[in-house]
Amino acid sequence: MKMLRFAALGVAATLALTACSSSDTPSDDATTAGGEKTAEAAEITLWLAGGDTNDELRQYLKDTFAAENPGSTLTIEEVAWPDLVTKLTTALPDEANTPDVVEIGNTQSPTFTTVGAFRDLTPIYDELGGDKLLQSFVDVGSVDGKNYALPYYFGSRYMFYRKDIWTAAGLEVPKTLSEFSESVAKLKTDTQSGFAMGGQDWRNGISWVFANGGELATVDGTTWTSTLSDPKTIEGLTQWQEVYRTASNLPSTERDVAYWDFLNDGTDGSAPAAATIMAPGWARWSIGDITTNDAGDEVRDGMADDTTFDIFALPGVDGGIAPVFAGGSNIAVSAKSQHPELAENLLRIIFSEEYQTKLGGAGLGPGNSDFVSSLGDDKFATTMIETAAASKLTPAAPGWAAIEGAFVYEELFQKIADGGDVAALATEYDAKLTPMLNGGAAG
Amino acid sequence: MSHDAALGVPAHSGPAGPAATGPAATGTAPTGEPPAPRRRRPPSAPYLLLVPAVVALLAGLAYPVGKQVVMSVQKYGLEQQFGQPPEFVGLDNFVRIFTDDALWAVVARSVVFCMVNALLTVVVGLALALLMRAVTTPVRLTLQVCLLLAWAMPMVAGVTVFKWLFDYRTGVVNWLLVKVGFDGMAGYSWLSQPMTFFFVATMIIVWMSVPFVALSLYAGLTSVPEEVLEAARIDGASGRQQLWHILLPMVRPVLSIVLLLQIIWDLRVFAQIRLLQDAGAPVSETNLLGNFIYELGMSRQDFGGAAAVSIFVLALTVLLSWPYVRSLMKEDA
Repeated sequence: MKMLRFAALGVAATLALTACSSSDTPSDDATTAGGEKTAEAAEITLWLAGGDTNDELRQYLKDTFAAENPGSTLTIEEVAWPDLVTKLTTALPDEANTPDVVEIGNTQSPTFTTVGAFRDLTPIYDELGGDKLLQSFVDVGSVDGKNYALPYYFGSRYMFYRKDIWTAAGLEVPKTLSEFSESVAKLKTDTQSGFAMGGQDWRNGISWVFANGGELATVDGTTWTSTLSDPKTIEGLTQWQEVYRTASNLPSTERDVAYWDFLNDGTDGSAPAAATIMAPGWARWSIGDITTNDAGDEVRDGMADDTTFDIFALPGVDGGIAPVFAGGSNIAVSAKSQHPELAENLLRIIFSEEYQTKLGGAGLGPGNSDFVSSLGDDKFATTMIETAAASKLTPAAPGWAAIEGAFVYEELFQKIADGGDVAALATEYDAKLTPMLNGGAAG
Repeated sequence: MSHDAALGVPAHSGPAGPAATGPAATGTAPTGEPPAPRRRRPPSAPYLLLVPAVVALLAGLAYPVGKQVVMSVQKYGLEQQFGQPPEFVGLDNFVRIFTDDALWAVVARSVVFCMVNALLTVVVGLALALLMRAVTTPVRLTLQVCLLLAWAMPMVAGVTVFKWLFDYRTGVVNWLLVKVGFDGMAGYSWLSQPMTFFFVATMIIVWMSVPFVALSLYAGLTSVPEEVLEAARIDGASGRQQLWHILLPMVRPVLSIVLLLQIIWDLRVFAQIRLLQDAGAPVSETNLLGNFIYELGMSRQDFGGAAAVSIFVLALTVLLSWPYVRSLMKEDA
């Protein structure tokens, strides 16, 4: 009996605990301002995605905002990219907890603009740059001719390679895509990838689709159709499968890989794990020899030794430059913001010449095309501008964020990487993706 | 509400359980020192003492569960989250979910995973409890401290360490396997295949749950009277017979309660799987029920469908644990 009572108590207590944890609502520790309606003095919140906006830029925003809006303060909170859509879904509809200004991935914008989550910025569109703003990003942020999300920065990706290894193997910078495939296949050994690429990494992989003139999806009016079975898309996917299988040692399940680690020498000066990688421009600062910065921390020297490390743009099928995935993000004001005037003031700072120039200085492509020259004119800047000009966005379909959230393309690319039949997989995933693209819940 | 109730019975508001069972004992106590004033009236104290627990349960559960039931019969997506009125669709969500093969694959996977993990945890826990009974005090204390440390390890930290151990490139496990002669294991990616993925997941979950089971069972074993065992030994019972015919029947209530709790917990497992998936895994082939609901609701913004699956999981949990609850109630009656 005694033991039974002990047990019964245990059940009661643990079930209560179970109940508490399962009814746990997402707790956003957002620290938004209190109830004051006065536009003069308030605290507004800016959500930035990931760490691309560096500390110096953040401090500039805070200081400038405080100086231009006496009594008001700007709080900047960083949200990790994989959590962004989830956090926005729960925070934006809640006027007590919504961030006032948010950064959002360019292709994630339509998911929120189409449901009215953002404030109409059309009245200040011209003041913030108007036609000078990157139009492909403006388009994904507009609905029915109204602007809800504007370009914050753009990026692109290109190839980083070990010049010493390529030269030792007698290889030159490739002129065409097939030349690239052949070269990296030659560089593969048991311990070194000729070209390090994870099997689920479709954001790099779709470059092969774009290079062959293929598309992931097309739109007719407002109806999206997945076009993986298009012969050009299949050709691109098949070429990518070939490159992965002949040049990469990475598991087919790898996706967000810190490829830059593969290019550096291993511990105790051992050989690097890869001869070539594909990454966004800022990866440069994680590559190179170890040196000590002003603060005394050990950092990479940003590829200072150009006989060892170098870059090139992924070549196209017939030469030139292959279109790559256009990275970047938009910025928008929450429709439920309690301080829209202050939020718009923050946008004025972000789209000012000074801040746009600072973005360029930090290696991020500024949203206003007038200030692209601030990126500089070294090989990193010119390659970035070249590849960005040739880059392409993923489909701006309403269901895009849901597709990313369900890892559908990750799975497709993994199955291709594992040696699956490309044409059959393309048909299978077209059927799965078309309803999802159009926002149909659970296809 | 709960504040008022707590103030009403300050001393007992926390442990409502023992207080609730207490009056039965005091009521029958023949010589209570303070003379009981009104013996005839049905005692109201037990019910009063139940109030805080009931209020807390209602406050914590009634709204979310109620909202869940309502949402499961509505078309509730991102538009509704941003203020559009939800549309009543009857059982559409359930029909849509139940006719999807993906759900049944997840259900089968989850039930198998849950049963394997719960049984494995209880078997390993029981073995450790018997070991603690057999060894000398210093050894037992060392063992208990180790178990407590594993139990106290924050889950995210624990999973991260396991992720590092099984990393295909830099993990200790692959390195060790190569050192002892399994050359094929160099660069083996444990998380890429569903089978090895769940092998790693099982190791993590069993490692984290065993301490609770082992310590609970050990507590149960210590209360088995030594005379009974001594009598058995005099009658010539072997160690195995003592275990099967004396120890296990006597700790059966504890054993069944920890098994029940493990089943409930292992059916709800979410974070460990999610964290492992982040390290690269075929996501749709490794989803368990919790991850499936999260993906449906939070990633695909199909809140109505996610609510429908959640209600199904609630029913499934009740179904799986019902035999244990019923046998417990029978024994108590």
